[in-house]
Amino acid sequence: MENRITLKFVFLFSLLILIGFLSQRMGIQTQQIIALTIFSASVFATLLFWEFRVAIAFLGVATLLVTKTVDLENLMKFASLEVILFLVGMMVLVGLLKESGLFAWIITIILRIKNLTAKKFVFMISVMSALLACCVDEVTSIIFMAAAILEICDYFEVDPTPYIIISILTTNIGSAGTVLGNPIGILIASKSGLTFEDFILKAFPLMWICLLLTIILVMFWYHKGLKKLDEKIRDSQANEFLIRLISIPPEKQLMLGLGIFGLTLLFIALHHRLEILFRLETNTLLLSLPLISAGGVMVWKRKRARSYIEKDVDWWTLLFFLLLFAKAGTLKYTGLTEVLAKNMVSLVGSNPKILTGTLLWTSAIGSSILDNVVLVAAFIPIVQSFGDLGFALQPLWWALLFGGCLGGNITLVGSTANIVALGILEKERNIKMNFFRWFWVGLTVGVITTGVVWLALAFLPFYK
Amino acid sequence: MKVKEIMKRDVTSVKPEDNAMETLTLLFKMQISGLPVIDGQGKLVGMFTEKDILRSILPSYIEKVGRFVYEENPKSIKNKFKELENLKVSQLMRKEIITVFEDAAVCEVARIMLTQKVRRIPVLNKENKVVGIVAREDIIKSYAKEAEWKIE
Repeated sequence: MENRITLKFVFLFSLLILIGFLSQRMGIQTQQIIALTIFSASVFATLLFWEFRVAIAFLGVATLLVTKTVDLENLMKFASLEVILFLVGMMVLVGLLKESGLFAWIITIILRIKNLTAKKFVFMISVMSALLACCVDEVTSIIFMAAAILEICDYFEVDPTPYIIISILTTNIGSAGTVLGNPIGILIASKSGLTFEDFILKAFPLMWICLLLTIILVMFWYHKGLKKLDEKIRDSQANEFLIRLISIPPEKQLMLGLGIFGLTLLFIALHHRLEILFRLETNTLLLSLPLISAGGVMVWKRKRARSYIEKDVDWWTLLFFLLLFAKAGTLKYTGLTEVLAKNMVSLVGSNPKILTGTLLWTSAIGSSILDNVVLVAAFIPIVQSFGDLGFALQPLWWALLFGGCLGGNITLVGSTANIVALGILEKERNIKMNFFRWFWVGLTVGVITTGVVWLALAFLPFYK
Repeated sequence: MKVKEIMKRDVTSVKPEDNAMETLTLLFKMQISGLPVIDGQGKLVGMFTEKDILRSILPSYIEKVGRFVYEENPKSIKNKFKELENLKVSQLMRKEIITVFEDAAVCEVARIMLTQKVRRIPVLNKENKVVGIVAREDIIKSYAKEAEWKIE
């Protein structure tokens, strides 16, 4: 074990030295090389050293400061505290919802479908996975969907694997639908000035097209399994047991929790109009609304307030994001992203359609291997540099969002939702997912949905 | 006061290769909630407790989903309980064990129990061999004795 870690560290350092050496040969300045090497260390840390990633991020940021690659003031600015605070606020709200049983209540809705058929079941879990991922984060949503699917499949004695796969695929697709679905959504919104309304008008419909296409595809892909489930449903007559299995009466706390979350969503949806009305800076309300609601919740549940902050907020991940954003910002600060943007333009030409396509496919392929937040954090300053070169930025932002979310479907480690749900499947049913069993269906869905987004971004003037 | 003065020296333990269901039966018979697991070389390798059994038969996501009420027990619980018969103690036991040395002060052991939320702690000698076990009960009894309070 210890030997393996040492070997991995040796590999990491050799890789970083190689990156430094190659970039020096390419004529990049010293400070840019330091910024690039340290950012690369974070990228490789997510691939090789999951448990060390925060430690590597700490060391990296300290190195940037000590080597004067970036100053303290700019480092703080790049750390994007507004994005972190938004995520903290949302996590507190989700904590309240979990505690009041909202998710179990939602699951009972699936269980109560009348005249259940296999196709209805697939349609229902797909739409619910996508919409849940739109409203809360993808990880919370997939845990609940996986739990419900396992129970239902157990009841009908069928293999849960295809349905877990379907739920993961549609969760990743759904996470592109709104600002809330994925950390990259709020990150892009905060850096691009795109509003929740922009997401609802432009990303949400495109997400639905991808979702419907995927539903048709998986129904065809798993038609044998669906036939078996249909037979089992017919044999067992009614789903009385299922209705009784998970049941949460809509109590006062649940209704209140639901009310607070609904109101927050409503105000988030209207944030841009309210900002115009109150003459506030773009996205001021988008970023403060979760804080207002979470603050209210912590006054209401004052005895639980500390527990919301300590247990429901994933500080480990958030701290990694904070330092990652700081390091990504430094890439732009040193002027490196400008060099990269210019190189990319000289490589693919200055046709915006080709540039959008390149960005979309690169981010899709990249996020099939890497954490999409790492990837998007790296691409944001490059996209901003495209703006300085005179390109229209909107299609590029959408390309980054959809590439980052849809690419997660391609491999079984493509997104956190995949890892979490397949982990549950393995622990609960002892079913270990084979790389290729995932890959073929994931690749097909990933390529088709990314292809559709590509066509939309390239040919619909709406996205210009 | 040192922990070796109040610990129980007669330690019942199980082996990592013991059957999980049989060990559970042993817990029920002894009316205790956990036992130390000691391997062939006499080394303490884990603790096997009722909590580990609960964790293994309940759905693994139950701690993450908040309030998720099952009105009827899910089928998986029945299956997983039966599965205990095919599992070894080593597959379920907790491997991160909190231990104390025999010369530790009783107050320090009590502090560890409170902060680490454990009910009983194996006591080791300098050679890292288990020489006893101390439970919350032993500590409270020792305090009672010191206060000259007779517990009926």
